[in-house]
Amino acid sequence: MIHVEHLSKHFSDFRRGSVVALEGVSFDVHPGEIFGLLGPNGAGKTTCLRVLSTVLTPTSGIATVAGYDVLTQAADVRARIGFMSGNTGIYDRMTAWELVEYFARLYGMEEPLVSQRLNEIFATLQMHEFRDVLGSKMSTGMKQKVSIARTIVHNPPVLIFDEPTTGLDVLVARAVLKAIASLREQGKCIIFSTHIMREVEKLCDRVAIIHKGRILAAGTPTELLDRSGQSDFEELFFELISRAEERMAATS
Amino acid sequence: MNRKNVRLVFLREVRDQIRDRRTLFMIVVLPLILYPGLAIGMVQISFLFKEQPRTIVLLGTDNLPADPPLLSGNHFASQWFAVPDDADKLHVIHDGTRNPPEVSPQEKADSEANAGLLEEGRDLAGKSQQLEELEKKQDAARKDHNEADEQRLADEIRSLKEELAERFSASKIQVLIVAPQGLKQEVERINHALAARGKDARPDAGEADRVRLLVVQNSADEKSSFAYQRVRLVLTAWEQRILQERLSEAKLPATLAKPVDPELLDVAIARQVSASLWSKLFPTLLIIMAVTGAFYPAVDVAAGEKERGTMETLLISPARRSEIVLGKFFTVVTFSVSTVLLNLLSMGITGKYLISLARNEALTRMGADSLSFPGPWEMMWLILLLLPLSAFYSAISLALATFARSTKEGQYYLTPLLLVTLGLTMFCLSPVVEIDPFYSILPVVGPALLLKEVLASPGSSAPLVYGIPVLATSIAYSLAGLWWAISMFNREDVLFREAERFDVRLWIRHLLRDKEATPSLLEGGLCFVLLILLQFVAFRFLQSGVVVSDGHIDPASTLRLLLIQQMVFVGSPALFMGIMLTTSVWRTFRLRLPNWRYLVVGCVLPLAVGPLSVALQNWLQGWFFPPLPKPVEELMNSLGEQTLPLWFVLLAMAIAPGICEELAFRGFILSGFARSARPAVAIGLSAIAFGAFHIIPQQVFNATLVGLILGLLAIRSESLIPSVLFHIIYNSIETVRVRAGDSIVQVPVLKWFVASEPSVTGYNTLALVVAGVVATLLIAWLIFGGQKAKTMAETAHEAASDEPMGRPRTPEPAISTRSMD
Repeated sequence: MIHVEHLSKHFSDFRRGSVVALEGVSFDVHPGEIFGLLGPNGAGKTTCLRVLSTVLTPTSGIATVAGYDVLTQAADVRARIGFMSGNTGIYDRMTAWELVEYFARLYGMEEPLVSQRLNEIFATLQMHEFRDVLGSKMSTGMKQKVSIARTIVHNPPVLIFDEPTTGLDVLVARAVLKAIASLREQGKCIIFSTHIMREVEKLCDRVAIIHKGRILAAGTPTELLDRSGQSDFEELFFELISRAEERMAATS
Repeated sequence: MNRKNVRLVFLREVRDQIRDRRTLFMIVVLPLILYPGLAIGMVQISFLFKEQPRTIVLLGTDNLPADPPLLSGNHFASQWFAVPDDADKLHVIHDGTRNPPEVSPQEKADSEANAGLLEEGRDLAGKSQQLEELEKKQDAARKDHNEADEQRLADEIRSLKEELAERFSASKIQVLIVAPQGLKQEVERINHALAARGKDARPDAGEADRVRLLVVQNSADEKSSFAYQRVRLVLTAWEQRILQERLSEAKLPATLAKPVDPELLDVAIARQVSASLWSKLFPTLLIIMAVTGAFYPAVDVAAGEKERGTMETLLISPARRSEIVLGKFFTVVTFSVSTVLLNLLSMGITGKYLISLARNEALTRMGADSLSFPGPWEMMWLILLLLPLSAFYSAISLALATFARSTKEGQYYLTPLLLVTLGLTMFCLSPVVEIDPFYSILPVVGPALLLKEVLASPGSSAPLVYGIPVLATSIAYSLAGLWWAISMFNREDVLFREAERFDVRLWIRHLLRDKEATPSLLEGGLCFVLLILLQFVAFRFLQSGVVVSDGHIDPASTLRLLLIQQMVFVGSPALFMGIMLTTSVWRTFRLRLPNWRYLVVGCVLPLAVGPLSVALQNWLQGWFFPPLPKPVEELMNSLGEQTLPLWFVLLAMAIAPGICEELAFRGFILSGFARSARPAVAIGLSAIAFGAFHIIPQQVFNATLVGLILGLLAIRSESLIPSVLFHIIYNSIETVRVRAGDSIVQVPVLKWFVASEPSVTGYNTLALVVAGVVATLLIAWLIFGGQKAKTMAETAHEAASDEPMGRPRTPEPAISTRSMD
């Protein structure tokens, strides 16, 4: 469903000059699995997911989502993905219902499908009690639910979650993760980025550890642990990163 | 383009704005309460307002002719005022004894202060008389050609004047009147002499010895000059009466002093008075309201969306960027238009109501039914012109707001936008500025002037003549603005701009460190700004050098300066920027030998384009462009003179600009633009920059058109040489033709093409037709032909990446047919 091959993205930043955000990244994600991108802040996770969601154009390399190229068939890609990130906001002056309905229509859905689908989602996510509350009056948990509803309203085959639990308390974060896990049950192809090891261990079928725009290691969590001989993920993570740092220091 | 998505975005944004209390307040509540509130405030102030009486000191009161009396108590007599009550506004302190004013206890208390003022007045009067005497002496010295004396007296006068001005400002006197000894007697003597008809041999005392009233005021001081205006009217009225009496005493007709006495008949009818009021107020207010009405919603829908983190969500929806921008754009237009209409409505109703309340005669004359709203025809034009204006400002505001990282940053962009707009509207307010073909195609100015015309003279034919060009260009400007807004939305560096600390040092270091082969878009733009600024600096340098003593220009020195200006202010800065900011000077300035075909085109094309552009210029000159500034015209004419060596004229007028301007505009600037914009856009932008660099409207127009061809030539040939050749030959043709004059007719082939009679163009129809055909063919070859194989590859490439975001950046792709149409 998601196919990424030698993907690179360079930015020009006036403080640091040309910045490599992604360099030669390749991976595949299949339906019914959750693929985790694990990396520290600034590793290139967000850039990678933004390229997949077509808002950024890659400098080089290929990325296809649900069989469509992100570069040449961006509109088709966008129609088939749901994207949610920890800092995507919701409109302050719109109610929960209006917001989800708005996006349903932008995705080309028509009545009566819209209200049917909305009722269904509002019921599963238990959102009916605040369906007429304005965004500015919602709690963080409510907002996050609205974001999830917005992400899945058009029933996309591919879902992209960019650090969806940032800034959430344990309860809300748990609910979000639960929702993501249930989406896997529905056979969705899910890519999920985070810097929290526990989430990876709990949720992901396969993981790629990314640092400074490069993938350092990829595989199932158990595979990775076995290969390195480390007992837990945190140790594995630190070892990989420090080894990469050493390599970089040596080459430069 | 999916219209449903545009509508969805539009409806959402409108609902969002309506739910926002700030927007509602700005757009609906403010106009509805602002004008009535202001009106109430004005009424209140008018009750509080009391004009402070001004102090006039009159010395030598007893020397004034007693009849008719100028004074009444310590005021001027009220009969000398058009509005008798105004007499109270001037407080006269005088030294009259014969007619002691009825002194009230209050005034008794003031008398001491008055005495002080009189003393000051006397002192000032003494100084003034001294000044007059010095001036007389100076005149005498000048007549005697006594330069030493004249100089000494001039110095004395200056210091005395300074002292007088200082003392006068320091005193509490606004106007000082001095009646000299013998004034009364002089008036009476002449009265008698005139009545006795010639019995006195010398009725007039002669200008030099005349006894006159001296009035001292300080026009730099507002209080003083205002008081003087009143005093002057009083004295004129009083003097008129003295004259009347003198005439009647001498049994002369009262009309003696007014042989023709022009009578004023004001045919303005109330409707026109109000029309002229509207025509002044409406365009200005309309434009300012259109800006502010567009700006705040634009900041909210673009920068606000970024700030709240909802932008990314929207971008990931299947709606295209253009659909999102259009939806937002229509929202902003809606609010801009409603702001304008509500403001004008509220203002109109308040103004009308206020005037209907007024009892003042001057106001009622244009009050009640006269201050009616413009009629339906005018209102139709108002709305018709308002729409593109609002659209223009909405698009610009939206682009700026998209660029901004936050709403706070967005607000900062309002001030420059508003200032430029204010400058333009101030220009349009001037009564001498009227709509003409040239103004009609300028942004903002065109609609403003047309609206002024429509409102000022209802039923004028202006809208029929200028309506189409004004509307067409306004719509074109709005579309350009919209295109800019959409392109802002397509730039990922704009959409995902992180808040980074701006530091000039860091930025310069970045420019010097992260050099690339060719300049960036920003660097290209900077080069243009630098050239414009240098041009501005060079003005002074050019101006000081060219004008010879008698106000005419000296062609030789002008040409020398032009040559220096080209090298110092155009060529060198561009070269310097190229060397400092890029790694490949060769690629930046396209310094390579092109295919020989382009060299041929570079030489032949100007021969065809030159006559065409001369013909076009001449045709436009009559009705479209304002006349050329006189010095430019003089210079143009002087170039035909045989006194200057031809090589020198060509060096300054053709070779230097050909090389220097090409290095700058087709070299650095075009390379910069071409790196991030499509070739067609880059050529267009560089042509506009090239045009803007030429200050005179005619040349701006011409240079923009020629700039398009030059840019095309440079991009297609990937070399600067053809465009340098083109530029040199193009500039040479006119010079050579003017100089050769009639001798061309003797050359066998050329004589067919030159108009046999000295016509306006200098070329005959045959020449123009041939030139037109040749030019069309060559330009078509440049656009479509030439590198056919490459073009096809490019087309395929472009077609594959149709999606706006999905266009990979190629360093400098050749023009494809697709992007040119």
